[in-house]
Amino acid sequence: MDCVIQVETLSKTYGTLTAVDHLNLCVERGTVFGLLGANGAGKSTTIECILGTKKPDCGTVRILGQNPATDRKKLFERVGIQFQEANYQEKITVRELCEVTASLYRKADDFRRLLAEFGLADKEKSPVNSLSGGQRQRLFIVLALLPDPEVVFLDELTTGLDARARRDVWKILSELKAKGLTILLTSHFMDEVEALCDQICILKHGRPIFYGTVAQAVEQSPFEQFEDAYLWYTEEE
Amino acid sequence: MRTFCTMLKTEWKLSLRGMDMFIFAICMPLVVLVILGILYGDQPAYAGASYTFLEQSFGALASISICAGGVMGLPLVVSDYRNRKILKRLQVTPVSPAMILLVQVAIYTLYALASLVLLFLVASIFFGLQIRGSFALFLCGYLLVLLSMFSIGLMVGGVAPNTKIAGVIASVLYFPMLIFSGATLPYEAMPSALQKAADILPLTQGIKLLKAASLGLPIDDIWLPVVVMAAIAVVCIAIALRFFRWE
Repeated sequence: MDCVIQVETLSKTYGTLTAVDHLNLCVERGTVFGLLGANGAGKSTTIECILGTKKPDCGTVRILGQNPATDRKKLFERVGIQFQEANYQEKITVRELCEVTASLYRKADDFRRLLAEFGLADKEKSPVNSLSGGQRQRLFIVLALLPDPEVVFLDELTTGLDARARRDVWKILSELKAKGLTILLTSHFMDEVEALCDQICILKHGRPIFYGTVAQAVEQSPFEQFEDAYLWYTEEE
Repeated sequence: MRTFCTMLKTEWKLSLRGMDMFIFAICMPLVVLVILGILYGDQPAYAGASYTFLEQSFGALASISICAGGVMGLPLVVSDYRNRKILKRLQVTPVSPAMILLVQVAIYTLYALASLVLLFLVASIFFGLQIRGSFALFLCGYLLVLLSMFSIGLMVGGVAPNTKIAGVIASVLYFPMLIFSGATLPYEAMPSALQKAADILPLTQGIKLLKAASLGLPIDDIWLPVVVMAAIAVVCIAIALRFFRWE
């Protein structure tokens, strides 16, 4: 099996709190993988350990066959990341942020085309601060796609987007996936997960309690709807 | 190189939008120069001196903007970018820590050079300043002072755990150096006990170099300040790179 993102027995504790507990993942090329779970279930810690921005207690991680902690400069030419909170300089404009981000990569996509695709063409000269929550979210997806990546990480992809914008983002991601892009995302919207994800993993207290497809998740639960099944999985006893 | 140029261009624009460095590194030394110029005009530094008071002070004035950028601007911008998690975002791109720091060093070097040129023009046009020593030697000394001051700033920005502590350390370094090293208050006017205490500050040594170079004075121990400043630069840059933290 060709795993673009491969995680083996990943564990991370903060003091006595176990954030991630012996997690195994394999995300195949050209698929969308959904990492699900309630707030505090360990999604963000998992992503940070995979990216190497947090050091796991044990376990191994490979992205595109490389170790993100030691091969950072080479690996992140081919990987795009959208973080949950947007981090940018005060007073920077949309165009400046795009230009600077593009300059970090050896080869970057045309940011004007991407801005247009995400409905931000007329915002080029605006300060990032002045954008609405949804616009800023879309801008950060644009930044994640700028390096023309083989893999993207999208943390809470469409939080803050209106219904129309969410559908537009889904459509663009589906097209990119058809071209071979591998996506790992977290989301709190089950309709989104159903629409996009080939495989999901549901975390609870840092442990995977379900791993498989959306259809399998529904099948193995007493419910018909995926959202009901998801809540059933994550329910506290 | 493309990365460096684009980052430099954008960071320069952002820095100018912030205005504070324009005030501390460009306006402030100019104001001190004009005040000293009006007060002392072209009077000799002391009775029978072959150079004017202003000429004696020029090296010190030129170092004000180095001090502002190096120990105020640099540490604050590095720790602010860490605090805002901008560095965390950059960590998952191919850019190297050295590149990020180099861009900021270039920005504050631009401020310092702009200040130097402006001070020189104003002082020579309005107050008859002449560089009596070697201009090349003065520039070399200037770059050495800049390198060592900036390396202190990089180290503080690199090791300070948060913006608040970076601000405190920066102030503790900035204000004593600005006041006691001779950058604003003339070193010659200080009582000798204070002079001895001020000699510990690296900037005092740097200003002595600049003074000797601009006035063409012989300097007894030219190697002591040169070695001290170079050693500070090497040690601080090594610490800044070794202990660079993205988060």
